[in-house]
Amino acid sequence: MTQDDKLKILKDILLKDEHEYASSIEIKLKKLEELITQQNNLSKHIDPILEDKLDEFIKEMPQTIGPTITKTLKEEIKNSQDEVVEALYPIMGKMIKRYVQKEIQILSENINRSMSNAFSFKNIFRKFRSKKSGVSEGDLLIQDQFKPNIEQIMVIESGSGLIVSEYSKTNNIDQDTVAGMLTAIKSFAEDAFVTDIQNLEYIEYENYHVHLQNFSKYYIAVAISGAFTATFRSKLEDKLLDFAQNIINKTDLNNSEQFSSKLKSFFQNENF
Amino acid sequence: MKISKKIVLIGHFGVGKSSLIRRFVEDTFTEDYKVTIGVHVLKKEVKLPETDKDITLVIWDLEGNDDITNTRPSYLIGTNGFLYVFDLTRPATYEKLSNDLDYISERFPKTPIKVIGNKKDLVTNEFIKQNKEVFGRFVDFYTSAKSGKNVEDVFTNLAKALIK
Repeated sequence: MTQDDKLKILKDILLKDEHEYASSIEIKLKKLEELITQQNNLSKHIDPILEDKLDEFIKEMPQTIGPTITKTLKEEIKNSQDEVVEALYPIMGKMIKRYVQKEIQILSENINRSMSNAFSFKNIFRKFRSKKSGVSEGDLLIQDQFKPNIEQIMVIESGSGLIVSEYSKTNNIDQDTVAGMLTAIKSFAEDAFVTDIQNLEYIEYENYHVHLQNFSKYYIAVAISGAFTATFRSKLEDKLLDFAQNIINKTDLNNSEQFSSKLKSFFQNENF
Repeated sequence: MKISKKIVLIGHFGVGKSSLIRRFVEDTFTEDYKVTIGVHVLKKEVKLPETDKDITLVIWDLEGNDDITNTRPSYLIGTNGFLYVFDLTRPATYEKLSNDLDYISERFPKTPIKVIGNKKDLVTNEFIKQNKEVFGRFVDFYTSAKSGKNVEDVFTNLAKALIK
């Protein structure tokens, strides 16, 4: 055995562990290289992690980014009001224009329909009214289109706000709740003006006018659609007074069915 | 014939008047506290099979008031039954219970009043026993708007008292 052979054997003995370690590292590196360079292998490992993180991000996005976006938007709108108006104007303008056009079309159709029945009783009566009052026939026609219409009449006990009686053509409101709320609003308004004995007499709600007429133990609330003119109001007040003075009596207040029957027969064919 | 009665709930702020009504009328509950401003009116029909009568309860939920004398008197006119609600967890809401009940009885001597200790879910039976000096004398029902415990019974019991 030569000196070199002996040296080689000694090297093998001394560096055996390092060789094995180096080989294992080499194998791991190869596997890692395969994993990174081949897309399918890599996505198999990374996709589930990414999906989880993405789901988490989507869930938390409104809390994390939402306030910042809202704040930025508010600031932007505040600082660029003219631009916002400019951007919204065409959209709003179109909507309003379309609504007005539609309403005028309906009005025009109604007027045409009325005019086409030239020999109808209504037309002849209108011509007569026009000549008598001096108001043009066209004006009377338009007035007819916005004629006030009684939708609901409620007789409500003062104080408690409980319904004594009611008459309705459409029956589309919760009478008990509305009567209670009307009474609460009335009580509040009447309490607020402590200087004099006054009553709340009128409430406007979108397309409805609510006329309130007060009597000692009860008050009558009338919901009206259409134009609530002073003339109509005066006629309605007279009619309600007439009803209270001449049609009902004390016993009716304790008999809801009897009261309702009188109310219905008095108002159902009423034309103001 | 339809029978309608006006029920008024009174008591301090935040005792759970609106929550009791919401539980009774809609069978819902929310932890979000929204203060009642002025008055809120709701209704529910109660069937009383024993009497063969249905009764419509028109319920007035008044805004809370720490001093009952500040309650707007016009809201109380024509009331058929009162529910006085206090919070079992807040002594300030039942410290003047006796005086408050006297105040109502003097003005409405013939009108039934039921006293309700609400938020029962937040106190133990032991706590109620310890305070029986106060609670035992006045309280008709211990309720929890959160769990719904006794809520239906309160209104049904009052409804029965009203049609006697």
